[in-house]
Amino acid sequence: MREKKEYYTGMFQWAMLFLNCTAVVFICTFIYVTTNRIRAHYDARNFLGNVMTIPNNPRMNLWFCLVLLGMLVINFIFRHFLQSEHSRGAAFSLVAELLICVVIIYRLDFNYNGLLLLVFANVIAYIKDSKAKMGFLLFAIGGYLLADYELLSIYMPLFNMSDYVRYYTFTSQQWLSCIWNTMISLNIIMFISYCFSVINIQRGTIEEVNKLYHDLQNANEQLSEYADMAEKMAQTNERNRIAREIHDTLGHRLTGIIAGLDACLALADVAPQEVKKQLGVLADVSREGIREVRRSVSELRPDAVEKLSLNAAIRKMVTDMGKVTDTQIYFDAGGEKLEFGDDESNIIYRVIQESITNAVRHGHAGQIWVSLKRIDGEVLLEIRDDGIGCKELNSGFGTRHMKERIEMLGGTIAFDGQKGFTVTAHIPIRWG
Amino acid sequence: MKILPKRGCKYLFIPIILLLLFAAGIVFYALKPRSVVLEFGMFTGSNWNVANANSFVIIDNAIARFEAEHPGVKVHYYSGVPKEEYSEWLSRKILAGEEPDVFMVLGSDFDQFSSIGIMKNLEELIETDETFATEKFFSSALSTGKYGNAQYALPYETVPTLMFVNQTLLTKEGIETPESDWNWEDMYAICSQVTRDLDGDGILDQFGICNYDWLDAVYSNGGEIFQSNGKNCYLAEDNVIDAVKYVRQLNELYQGQKVVRENFNEGNVAFMPLTFAEYRTYKTYPYKIKRYANFKWDCITMPAGTDGDNVSQVDTLLMGISANTRKEELAWEFLKLLTYDEEIQTQIFSHSQGASVLRAVTQSAEMEAIVQAEMEEGETVISGRLLGKVIEEGYTAPQFKKYEQALSLTNSEIGEILENDTTIESNMKILQRTINSYLQQ
Repeated sequence: MREKKEYYTGMFQWAMLFLNCTAVVFICTFIYVTTNRIRAHYDARNFLGNVMTIPNNPRMNLWFCLVLLGMLVINFIFRHFLQSEHSRGAAFSLVAELLICVVIIYRLDFNYNGLLLLVFANVIAYIKDSKAKMGFLLFAIGGYLLADYELLSIYMPLFNMSDYVRYYTFTSQQWLSCIWNTMISLNIIMFISYCFSVINIQRGTIEEVNKLYHDLQNANEQLSEYADMAEKMAQTNERNRIAREIHDTLGHRLTGIIAGLDACLALADVAPQEVKKQLGVLADVSREGIREVRRSVSELRPDAVEKLSLNAAIRKMVTDMGKVTDTQIYFDAGGEKLEFGDDESNIIYRVIQESITNAVRHGHAGQIWVSLKRIDGEVLLEIRDDGIGCKELNSGFGTRHMKERIEMLGGTIAFDGQKGFTVTAHIPIRWG
Repeated sequence: MKILPKRGCKYLFIPIILLLLFAAGIVFYALKPRSVVLEFGMFTGSNWNVANANSFVIIDNAIARFEAEHPGVKVHYYSGVPKEEYSEWLSRKILAGEEPDVFMVLGSDFDQFSSIGIMKNLEELIETDETFATEKFFSSALSTGKYGNAQYALPYETVPTLMFVNQTLLTKEGIETPESDWNWEDMYAICSQVTRDLDGDGILDQFGICNYDWLDAVYSNGGEIFQSNGKNCYLAEDNVIDAVKYVRQLNELYQGQKVVRENFNEGNVAFMPLTFAEYRTYKTYPYKIKRYANFKWDCITMPAGTDGDNVSQVDTLLMGISANTRKEELAWEFLKLLTYDEEIQTQIFSHSQGASVLRAVTQSAEMEAIVQAEMEEGETVISGRLLGKVIEEGYTAPQFKKYEQALSLTNSEIGEILENDTTIESNMKILQRTINSYLQQ
C-alpha cells in the first residue's frame, strides 16, 4: 500500500520536472522565434518602442536554459536513483537543484517562477519532520509569491512575455495565452495534489503506527489472560493430583487402618493376642503410609535443588543461563564437600539465581564469577560481575529479599556496586 | 527505487564536478576572447540632413589612432546604413542581442533605448576616470545624453539653430545687420519694413522672415513645452501663449501669403532660421554656387522674446555604450576618444558640418581658421565666441518616451490654431488639457 503511494509521489515529481522543462523551453523558444520574426518583418524599432525591456540575447538565452535544464534533469536522475531518500547526498542535490532553478528563473526575468514549485515539492519530500515540513511549505509559498513577475517588475525592469505575445494576431495571442496559462495552472495543480499526497502518506503512516500499537496492546492483554488461565488450570490440575494422591495413598491406608482398628476393638476382649498381632500389622501399614506420604510430597516438590545436590543444581543453572545469554558464568565450589540442609540449599540457590539475573538484566555483565567456599566457621558466598554496576542500591533489584533470606539462616549479606556488582554473603555453618 | 542507500554520498561529488566542468566549459567557450574586436555602430551621411561625403573620415582617423594605442584590438564598424534606416538596423541588432559595443544613437531613440536598459549608465565610468571632466563639454550638449539624472550617452557633435540674415536685402533697405542681442521688437520692426510689393502687381514679393516656428519663439521667450519627466505640458503658460501670438503677428504681415524656403533662396526674405550645419554646408563649395549665390548672407542669434534670451534649440548627436558589452573598458576608451579627444573633435570642423561638443575646441582660433579656409575670401566667419555662447545657452529638448509623438501632436494642433483666426488663450488651454491627458495615459 505504502510502496504504491511512494510510487505515485515519484511519478508526480517526474511529471512536474517534465512540465517545468517544457514550460522553460517553451518560453525561450517562443522569445527566440518571435525575435526572429520581428527582425524579419523589420518591426524592431516599433517593437522596442512598446516594451519595458528585452532579454539580452534570445539565442544565447535559449542555449543557456537548455544547458541548465540538462543539468537539472541529470541532477534529478542522480538523486532519484543513486541517493537514499534522506541522505546528505540528496540534500546537496536539492541545494544544487534550487540554485539551477533560481538561475533559470533569473534568466527568464521571473516570467516563469513555476520552477520554484518543483524545488519545493522535492524538498517537502525530503524533510521528515512534519512541523519543519509545514514551516518550509509556508516559507516556500511566501517565496513563490515574492518571485512574482508583476510584483518584481515594479522595482526592476523585466522583459514581459506578453509584449512578445502581443506581436501576434489576436487569434494566435489567444492560443498562446491558452497554452501558457494551461501549463502554469497544471503545474500549480500538480504541486497542490503532490502536497496532498505527501500529507496523506504521512497521515497514513501515523494511522498505521497507531493501529499497530493498538494491536500490540490487545495481544498483550490476551497473553496475560492466557497466562492467568494457564496458571489457574495448572493450579486445578495440581489440586486434582494432590487430591488423587491423598485419596489413593493416605485415604486407602487410613481406611485400612480404621478397619483394622475396628477389628481390634471387637477382638480386644476375646483375643488380646490377636489384637496385638493386628496392631503390629496396623503399625506396619501406618509406616507404609508415612513412606507413601513422603514419597508423594517429594514428588510434588518441583525444583532441581530437591532432586540434585546443591552444587549440581547450581552448575545446571549456570549452564542453562550460559545457554540463553551471552554472559560467561564461572562457578567455583572450592575443594571441600559442603553439606547443607534443604532450607539452606534453597536460600543459597535463590540468592545466586537472583544475583545472576540482576547482573545480566541490570548490569549488562559480560562475565560473572560465583564462588561458594568454607572459610573458618562460615560459608562464604560471593557473586561478582564486570557489568556497569550501580551507584546507589535499588531495592527493586530484589536485594531486600536476599537480605531477609540470608538473615533467616543467621548470616549477613553485603552489596557493592562500585566496580561491577558484588554480592557477598556469610552464612554460619550448622553441621559443626 | 533507491539502489544505493547511504554510501551514495561518497559518489555525489563525481557528477557534481562533472556538471561544474560542463558549465565552466560552456561559459569559457562563450567568453573566450577569440581576438578582441570592438564593434562600432554608425550611420552614413549627416545627422543634420545635409549632404556629407566625409562621414567616415573622422571615424577612420579615430579607429586608426585607437588601434595604434591598443595593440591587438580591432575596431569594426558596419558601413552603409543610411540615417533613415539606422534606427531599425540598430533595433534589430539590439533585439538579437548583437548590438555594437559603442554606437551612435539618434535623439528620437535615446530615451527609449535608455529606458529599456540597452544604454550603459556611464556615471560610474565618469566618476572613476580621473582624466575625464564633464565640465569640458558644453552643458547643453552633455545634458542631451542624460536620462533621468544619469548620463547614458556622450555628445559627439552638436548643431545649434541660428538666424540667417540676407545682408544684401538689408543693405538695400538701409537696415544694419542686427546685433547678437536683438529682440522680437527689433525683428518685427525690420520684418514690417521689408515686407513689400516690389513690382506693384498687388502681390507681396519681399518678406521679413520664413520658416520661423512657434517653437523657435517659445525657446527664445524662456518657455518650455514639456515638463522634463514628460508628465505635463506648459502650453497655457504666458510665455508660450505670447510666443504663439508673436508668430501669428508675423504671419499676419504676409496677408495670407505663404512664405517658403524658395523665397529665401531667391533673395527675397530677410531672415530664416537654419542650423549651423546648413550654414557650414551652404557657405562652402559646391553648395554655395547652387544656392544663395546672388546675395551675401551671414548668421546671427535668434531674437530674444519679452521674457527670454537669445536662445535657440541645440541638436546633438549622441554616442553610447551597450549595457551588455563585455569590453567595457575598451568601449569607454573608444567613446572617450571620439567625444572627448580635442584632436578628433577638431576634425568635426574639417570633415563634418556640426560643431564640436568641447568648449575649448569650438571656441578656439583653430576652428575659425578651419571654417575660414573653406570659404571664399572676404566672407565673415561666425566667431567661436558667438558659436560657443549659442551652444552653451541653447535649449535642449527633454528626453522622455512620448516626446516625439507628443511634439508632433502639439505641432499640428498649434498649426491649426495659427491658421484659423481663433482665440489663442482658450484654444491653448484646451490643447494643454488634451496633451496632458495623452502624456498621462
